[in-house]
Amino acid sequence: MAKMVLIIEDDNFLLGLEAKKLKKEGYDISTAVNSEEAFRLIDSRVKIDLILLALMLPDVDGFTILEKVRKNGSKEIADVPVIIFSNLSEEKDIERAKSLGISEFMVKSNFTLDELAAKVKELIGA
Amino acid sequence: MANDAELKKIEQENQRLAQLCSMKSEMVSLNAHQIKTSLSAQKWIIKMFLDGDLGALTPEQENLMQKAYESNDRAIELVSDMLADNKKEELAEKKFEFSPVDLSELIDSVKFDFSGEAYSHGVEMIFLHPEEDIPPVDADKEKMRMVLQNLLDNAIKYSGNHGKVFITLSKKDDQVQVSVKDTGVGISPEGQKHIFEKFYRDPEAEKKEITGSGIGLFTAKNVVERHGGKIWFESRPEAGTTFFFTIPIRQKGGVA
Repeated sequence: MAKMVLIIEDDNFLLGLEAKKLKKEGYDISTAVNSEEAFRLIDSRVKIDLILLALMLPDVDGFTILEKVRKNGSKEIADVPVIIFSNLSEEKDIERAKSLGISEFMVKSNFTLDELAAKVKELIGA
Repeated sequence: MANDAELKKIEQENQRLAQLCSMKSEMVSLNAHQIKTSLSAQKWIIKMFLDGDLGALTPEQENLMQKAYESNDRAIELVSDMLADNKKEELAEKKFEFSPVDLSELIDSVKFDFSGEAYSHGVEMIFLHPEEDIPPVDADKEKMRMVLQNLLDNAIKYSGNHGKVFITLSKKDDQVQVSVKDTGVGISPEGQKHIFEKFYRDPEAEKKEITGSGIGLFTAKNVVERHGGKIWFESRPEAGTTFFFTIPIRQKGGVA
C-alpha cells in the first residue's frame, strides 16, 4: 500500500506542484489549505505516514498545528514525521519547530521538488 | 534645557517612531516572505523544464531556462539577504544583554546552521577547535551569533567553489580571539579602505555578482566594539582574507 503524505499548505499553486511531484513518486496525497481541514484529517484517523507542513497559514499558524499533532491522543499521529516546508527561516522559527519535534526544517526557496521528494523518501521510504 | 513638557513630547515622538519602525520592519518581512513564495514556485517550475519533466527542450530553450534558473537563484538570495538585514537592524537596535557565552559552542552552532549554504557553494568549513579550554566570555549571545553569521556568510560567498573556510578560537591574555579565514580572491585595495562602512560593497564582489547589502560587516564592527573588542582583517589578492575579532573575557563592571 502506498504511503500517505498529508500536505498542509495555503498557497494553492505551490500545493498543486508539491502534490503532483509526490504523487508521481508513488505517494498517496491528502491536502489541507487551512487548519480546519488539517484538523479534520488529523482527527479522522486516516492513516498518515508523513506531514508536510507550511508555517504561514490563513487562520492559525503551522506551529499550532504541529503542537496539536504532537499532543494527539493517537500515538500513530503523535509520532508521525513532520517536515516543515516554509519560507520562514529565522532562528527563532527553526528553534521553536525543533522544540515541538520535527524531522526536518526545509526552506522552500532553498530546495527543488526533487530534493523534497528525496527527503520524504529518506524519512518514510518509497 | 528642555522643560518637562518638551521632554514628554520628545519621548512620545520617540515612542511613535519606534512603533512605526517596528511596523515597517514587520511589513518588509511579510512582503519578503510572499516574494519568496512566488520565487519558489518559479524555481520549481523552471527545474521541471530543465529536467525534461515537461518534454524535451531544444538547446536554445534549455540555455534560456538555465539562465532563468540562475536569475531566480540570485533573486532568492537577494530577498533572503533583505530579510536577514531587516533582522540585523532590528536586533542591533535592541539593548545588549550580557551573560557568559561559550564561543566554542556558539561557533559549532553557527557552523551547523551554515552547512547547507556551504554545501551549495561547494565550500568546506573547518573549525580548528582550541587545544586549551577557552573560558566563556561576557557577551550578548544573539548579537555574537550575528557577528559569526556575518563573517561565515561572507567567507562562504567569497571562497568560491572548492574553497575552504577555517575558523579558529584562542585565548590571548584577558581576551578571546576568533578568526575566520577564506580561500577567496581577497578584498580589493579600494575595498579594504571602506569595508566596514555601512552599505559599502566591494566593486569586485559586484562584478562577480555576489549578493550582499553592505550591512553585515558594519553591524559586526558595531557589535564587537560595543563589547569592548576589536575587529580587523588581513587580505591578499588571490590568497584570501582572514577576519579577526577579540572579545574581552570580562566586561568592565560586567556580570561574568
